[in-house]
Amino acid sequence: MGGAAISSHGLACAPPGAVPPYPRARRASAAAAAGHRSSHQLLLRSDLPAHPILCRARSQSSSSSNVNFGGGDDADKLLEDLIKQHGEVVYSLGSSPAVEADDDAECLSFAVSLAKVASEIKAADIRVLCVKRLVYWTRFFIILTAFSNAQIDAISSKMRDIGEKQFSKVASGDTKPNSWTLLDFGDVVVHIFLPQQRAFYNLEEFYGNATPIELPFDTQWQ
Amino acid sequence: MIQPQTLLNVADNSGARKLMCIRVIGAAGNQRYARIGDVIVAVIKDAVPQMPLERSEVIRAVIVRTCKEFKCEDGIIIRYDDNAAVIIDQKGNPKGTRVFGAIAEELRELNFTKIVSLAPEVL
Repeated sequence: MGGAAISSHGLACAPPGAVPPYPRARRASAAAAAGHRSSHQLLLRSDLPAHPILCRARSQSSSSSNVNFGGGDDADKLLEDLIKQHGEVVYSLGSSPAVEADDDAECLSFAVSLAKVASEIKAADIRVLCVKRLVYWTRFFIILTAFSNAQIDAISSKMRDIGEKQFSKVASGDTKPNSWTLLDFGDVVVHIFLPQQRAFYNLEEFYGNATPIELPFDTQWQ
Repeated sequence: MIQPQTLLNVADNSGARKLMCIRVIGAAGNQRYARIGDVIVAVIKDAVPQMPLERSEVIRAVIVRTCKEFKCEDGIIIRYDDNAAVIIDQKGNPKGTRVFGAIAEELRELNFTKIVSLAPEVL
């Protein structure tokens, strides 16, 4: 379960900080127990026996570290025997790409709809970043600038409404407008800044390695 | 287990280096000791020169690392090498722009997601 969780969130990425595999696995399994990613993680179990090729590769590598093979043919035979004996027990690390893609698509549509709401209320410089490869605790960041507390209030209340009504996600985070207002929907985290605070914290630079998502509308409001 | 007179490191780039706890205000249940995620009032004992924060200034801070073991909901126990805190203002915004070192994910559940999003490593 832990191994499946590691690969499902991507190990090859460089973080904002190099996150070691152990906490990633631990927290992902913790999230499976109680968190918002539970359905995603639970589905991983069903695909355990579904990758015979990966099973074989895994069992080869694991057995080669322990057994010293003599020649080519003998080694092949020995490996075949080992695969027959233990191959079914060792399961793949890979997650089902289809399940992951479905989950991502849902979160992405949620993020894009939130960005669209912000654009309708004339927020400026809206960025949607896919930070799934960098941090394990969320998938998308939305960073945007608002110019007054009233605007921040309008944006955050409308985002909360859409989250609750259309996507049944309740936001935690700031309830009152603040110079840096944060809405945490679980897989999507919204940062609403005043212009000064946005320049001060400079989150885009910190998450510079994140993948920017193209938005289907114009994000610059003049 | 942070209590008044405890010295803490500062885990951000706000300019302070050492804090001394003078009051625990955020502790749930046990008001005597603060643990990870609790807010304290502290005084700056040591600061980097020519930064906005100065020595002997009284500030608020959130505990992010403790030497005392911290038990997570999933049963894992985390113990850090030092006691460290991140300086915040009255509204909960961090005074620094970056957080150093590993911090616990429980801070997110305690509505300190801003600190979590500035951290390089979340356990």
